[in-house]
Amino acid sequence: MSSALDRSPRSVIILSSAFVLLWVAVASFPFIWTLWGSFKVQGDFFSKADWRNALWGTRTLIETGSTFTGAGYDGAWVQEEFWRAAINTLIVVFFTVIISLTFGTLGGYALARSGRKYAFGLLMIALVFRAMPHITLVSGYLLPFFEWNLWGHLPTSIIVLVAINQPFTLWMLHSFFLNIPKDLDESAKVDGCTQFQAFRHVIIPVMWPGVITTGLFSFLLAYNDFAVTSMLLSEENRTMVPAIAGFLGSTLEEGNVMFAVAAVVSATAPLFVLVMFFQRQIVSGLTAGAVKG
Amino acid sequence: MAEIQLRNVGKRWGSFVGVENFDLTIADKEFLVLLGPSGCGKTTTMRMIAGLEDVTEGEILIDGTTVNDLEPKDRDVAMVFQSYALYPNMNVYENIRFPLKVRGIDPATHDAKVRRASAMVELDEFLHRKPAELSGGQRQRVALARAIVREPNVFLMDEPLSNLDAKLRVSTRAQIKNLSHELAVTTIYVTHDQIEAMTLADRVVVMKGGVVQQVGSPTEIYDRPANAFVASFIGSPAMNLMKGTVSAGTFIAEHVEITGLNAPDGPLTLGFRAEDASLAGEAQGQINAPIYTLELLGDATMVSVRVGEALVSVKADKTFRAAIGDTVSIRIPSEICHLFNAEDGARLGG
Repeated sequence: MSSALDRSPRSVIILSSAFVLLWVAVASFPFIWTLWGSFKVQGDFFSKADWRNALWGTRTLIETGSTFTGAGYDGAWVQEEFWRAAINTLIVVFFTVIISLTFGTLGGYALARSGRKYAFGLLMIALVFRAMPHITLVSGYLLPFFEWNLWGHLPTSIIVLVAINQPFTLWMLHSFFLNIPKDLDESAKVDGCTQFQAFRHVIIPVMWPGVITTGLFSFLLAYNDFAVTSMLLSEENRTMVPAIAGFLGSTLEEGNVMFAVAAVVSATAPLFVLVMFFQRQIVSGLTAGAVKG
Repeated sequence: MAEIQLRNVGKRWGSFVGVENFDLTIADKEFLVLLGPSGCGKTTTMRMIAGLEDVTEGEILIDGTTVNDLEPKDRDVAMVFQSYALYPNMNVYENIRFPLKVRGIDPATHDAKVRRASAMVELDEFLHRKPAELSGGQRQRVALARAIVREPNVFLMDEPLSNLDAKLRVSTRAQIKNLSHELAVTTIYVTHDQIEAMTLADRVVVMKGGVVQQVGSPTEIYDRPANAFVASFIGSPAMNLMKGTVSAGTFIAEHVEITGLNAPDGPLTLGFRAEDASLAGEAQGQINAPIYTLELLGDATMVSVRVGEALVSVKADKTFRAAIGDTVSIRIPSEICHLFNAEDGARLGG
């Protein structure tokens, strides 16, 4: 493959490089635009006079005396206490991932190793639940949650997020476990392990990339969720995404929309760090089993 | 020290019979080979002894104790898998040490035991490597070392050589034979390769379709096969088998007439080994037929003719040359003939 590419004519290389560069520029534009604009005032970033104001910060210079301002961040984090939302997100995400992975690894392993016919049936049911729109679960839960006084608490939304997430983690981990030969379990058992020891000492270490990948997807689902958290959490318990939506809705006072822009940047940055940090595990997890290794 | 008793052991999956009525006592320190084509139940039998497969009927006893309901870890057996089943995240040293670790054996003794086991299979230089960095033969030896490290009562080996190339297979076979002699542990070895069975075994169990066909020493099985299946499975080439009829002590088939047989009249299957027969002068032998194929083996020349549907081979001198289609005469004295029932293939007479 690579040698064939090396031989391709210069024009093809230039063309394909140009295409990739263009694609990267187009794809990353919204992020860069938002990052840049988050340091401006509303009059610039949402300028009606000239969109280029967002680039040069004309109004920002007039209002604050500098072309960059941290007013949006200050407003979001200090004035509106966005840090509470960040902590809530952290709690929700942490427990959603931990609970989904615990049940997902155990359940996925059991389903992968079970010879019973109903194992496949369970997976099919899981798939159906996975395919449902998240909001259907929420609307079903809403009334009982109100009546039992469970509405508005973090654990409630953690439970619902786990319920939404679990079918996916089960499926994903199940297929990872299927790729691990049964001989490994059996060898461990003959060597002196109980079934659970074989799982813990032999299978999970081999599964690690799969667990990381699945964990990351669970993380993203919980982190980015809007449907569940916006419906089930009270204002003081909000996570970041509904909080951002709240900022966007509060346009009564000039400048508050910039809180949302700053919050968006704050919420996106950790994702970049995370994906870069785990990229090796993600890639090896996503391609595991693609070719016999 | 372990004597293994299998008392009418059977395995069923629904209506499918995996193993039927397996009844055998394996003596302490014996090297027993389970031999048969794929799907004959030999691996299932071994897995039942290991505890990886439940026994549907009958009893398995190790040293007089029924182990039917014991977990694999409580049976004190060690197993070498066809796929080696090495733990990919551990290096060779940790792989070999693993059984000691999970069984809670005094950690102070681990190092000496691991080094002793790895020395026995000549792996000392590779202890720090991961399984992925080893060749097939080396991986196989890691699996062996992991099995011998805790000196179990019973070794189980499931086609341990089938993933190796032909040359390595011969040297590893020799190593296994030597190792089993040195360790003097009861060993059960599963294979579909009759040469492995002949070279390694104290006793061979030939199986087919879940049923034991014959139990005996390699010589017994080779010289006195209990039925036509065993005869056709053992030996390289396998025994020649021809269908025909006997009348008044004479076996008659297409191109064939063998006299002086002690057999009742009627149809039967006659067999003989390629090396027992010889080529005769023109029309003086018992088979006179055109040559179907001629194979030069180096130490001999294999001459084949067709008798009905069967291909019949004879080992001739290494200098023998002829063209395909030339008529050849084969001498088959009645003493070398094995007679089998035409219907069920059971051995007739002595």
